[in-house]
Amino acid sequence: MRAARLALGALGLAALAWGLLLVADLGPQVVDVLVWVVGGVLAHDAVLAPVVVGLGALLALVVPPWLRPPLVGLLVVLGPLTLVAVPVLGRFGARPDNPTLLDRPYTTGWLVIAAVAVLLTVVAALRARRAQLVDETEPRP
Amino acid sequence: MSERALRGLAARLDARIPRPEDFDDTLRGPRTAARIGVWLGPAFVLCFLTGLFSHALQHPGSFPLPTGPTRLYQVTQGLHVAAGTAAVPLLLVKLWSVFPRFFERPPLAPRRLVLHLLERVSVFLLVGSAVFQLATGLANSAQWYPWRFDFIRSHFAIGWVAVGSVILHVAVKLPQVRAAFGAPPETRSARAGTPSRRSLLRTTWLASAVAVVATTAVELPGLRRVALLAVRSGTGPQGIPVNRSAVGALVADLAVDPAWRLKVTGPSGTVELSRDDLLAMPQRSVVLPIACVEGWSASGTWGGVAVRDVVALVGGTTSDDVTVRSMQPRGAYRESTLPSAWVARTDSLLALSLAGEPLDPDHGYPCRLITSARPGVLQTKWLGEVEVVRA
Repeated sequence: MRAARLALGALGLAALAWGLLLVADLGPQVVDVLVWVVGGVLAHDAVLAPVVVGLGALLALVVPPWLRPPLVGLLVVLGPLTLVAVPVLGRFGARPDNPTLLDRPYTTGWLVIAAVAVLLTVVAALRARRAQLVDETEPRP
Repeated sequence: MSERALRGLAARLDARIPRPEDFDDTLRGPRTAARIGVWLGPAFVLCFLTGLFSHALQHPGSFPLPTGPTRLYQVTQGLHVAAGTAAVPLLLVKLWSVFPRFFERPPLAPRRLVLHLLERVSVFLLVGSAVFQLATGLANSAQWYPWRFDFIRSHFAIGWVAVGSVILHVAVKLPQVRAAFGAPPETRSARAGTPSRRSLLRTTWLASAVAVVATTAVELPGLRRVALLAVRSGTGPQGIPVNRSAVGALVADLAVDPAWRLKVTGPSGTVELSRDDLLAMPQRSVVLPIACVEGWSASGTWGGVAVRDVVALVGGTTSDDVTVRSMQPRGAYRESTLPSAWVARTDSLLALSLAGEPLDPDHGYPCRLITSARPGVLQTKWLGEVEVVRA
C-alpha cells in the first residue's frame, strides 16, 4: 500500500511537473491561461459554492422537510446540466455562414428537460408526503 | 495601528469566517467524496488518454499510429467529450461534499503549516485545472472562444496538470478512500429533510447520465432525438455537418473556378490535374465518418481517387508521407500531412463526390482529403496542392 502510494504520487508529480513546464512554455499567453485557471477556482469557491450553501439554508428555512430531498435532486440534475449547456444556450459560437452548427432549438430543449425534471420532482415529493402522512396516522402499538 | 488592535481585528474577522464545523456535514465528507471520486478520477484519466491520442494524431511522428478501424477516432473522441461532460456533475457534487474544508484554519506548528500549504496548493491546482479543462473543452465543442490564448496548446498543457493533480490526489487520499468504502452508503436519511447518502449518489449518477445523453447522444442511433442540447443535429449538406464553410474559409470563388488545377509534386516531377483528369482515373467509393474533435461525427459515402494512385503519377510510393494543402488563405488547418501508413490504405481518398453527388462547396469542392480514423480537422478541404514528402 505504502509502495503503491509512493509510486502513484511520483507518477502524479511527474505528470504535474511536465504540465507546468508545458504551461510555462506557452509564452506571453500564460497570463491569460492563469487568469482562467484562477477564475475557475474563484467562480466555484466565491460564487457557485456560496450560492448553493445559501440555497440550502433557504430550503431549510422555508420548505417543509418532505419537499427538501426532491428539490435537492432537482438542483443536482438541473444545475450542472444548465452549466454544461451554457455554450449552446447562448449560441455564442454561431456563425451566419454555417447553419449546421448550433442548429437545435436549445432554449426549448432546455425547457423540455426542465419540465420533465420538475414533473418527476413533483411525483417524488407527493410520494414522500403521502409516506409521511401514512407514518403520522398509523396507530402506534 | 497597535499590535493589540490588529490582533483584535484578526479575531473579529476570524469569528465572522465560517469554520468547517459550521456546515451541515450529514451528507458531506469522505464517504461521499470518495464514492464520487472513483468515477471522477477514471473520467479524467479517460479524457486524458483519449486527448493524448487525438494530440498524437494531429502531431504525428513520435510513434506509430493505428490507421483503423475506420471508426476508431469517432469512438475515442466521442468518449473524450462524453467523459468530460459526465465529469461536470461529478466534480460539482464532489466539491460540494468537501467545501467546508476550504475554511479550515492553517495549523501554527511550522512543519504542519508547510504540509497544509502544500496540500492547499495541490488542491488549488487540482480544482483550477479541472474547471479549466471542462470549461474550455465544452466551450470549444460549441466553437465559442471567449479567451485570447491558444486553445489547443493550453488545453493540452493544463490536461497534464489536471491528470497529474488527480493521480497525486489519489495517492494522498488512498487511506481515506479505503476507509470510506468500509461500509455501503446509508440508504436511510439521517434526519427528516435530507436525502440519504445513497439517494444523493444515485442522483449524481443520474445527473451525469442526463448531461451526456442530452449533449452527445447524437452519436447513437435512436437517441438522436433526445440529444436536445447537442452542438449539432448531425445533418447538413449531403447529410454531413460542416465545421468551416467555403465562405468562412474565404475560398467560395476559388473553389468553383473552372481553371482550378490540383498541383501534384513528387520525386519525378510535377503534374497539374483538372477535375476531369481526376475523374478519368480509377474511381473508388468508401464509407468513412467525419469525426470532429468537438465530439460529433457523421458517416458518408465518398467517391474519388486513392491518394496512392495520384502520388504514383509523380513517383510517390506507399512508404512516403504526403502533404496536402488547401486553397484557403489562412487557418491552422490549411495543410495536413498524411503519414505513409495512411497513404498505403486504398480508402485514403482525394474525394470528388459525397453521397453520389459532386462535393458540396462546404464539403471541399472541387477536391478534399478523406481518410480513416483521423480527426476531421486533418481531412483538408478545397485542395490546391499535393506534395510527396520522403519519410
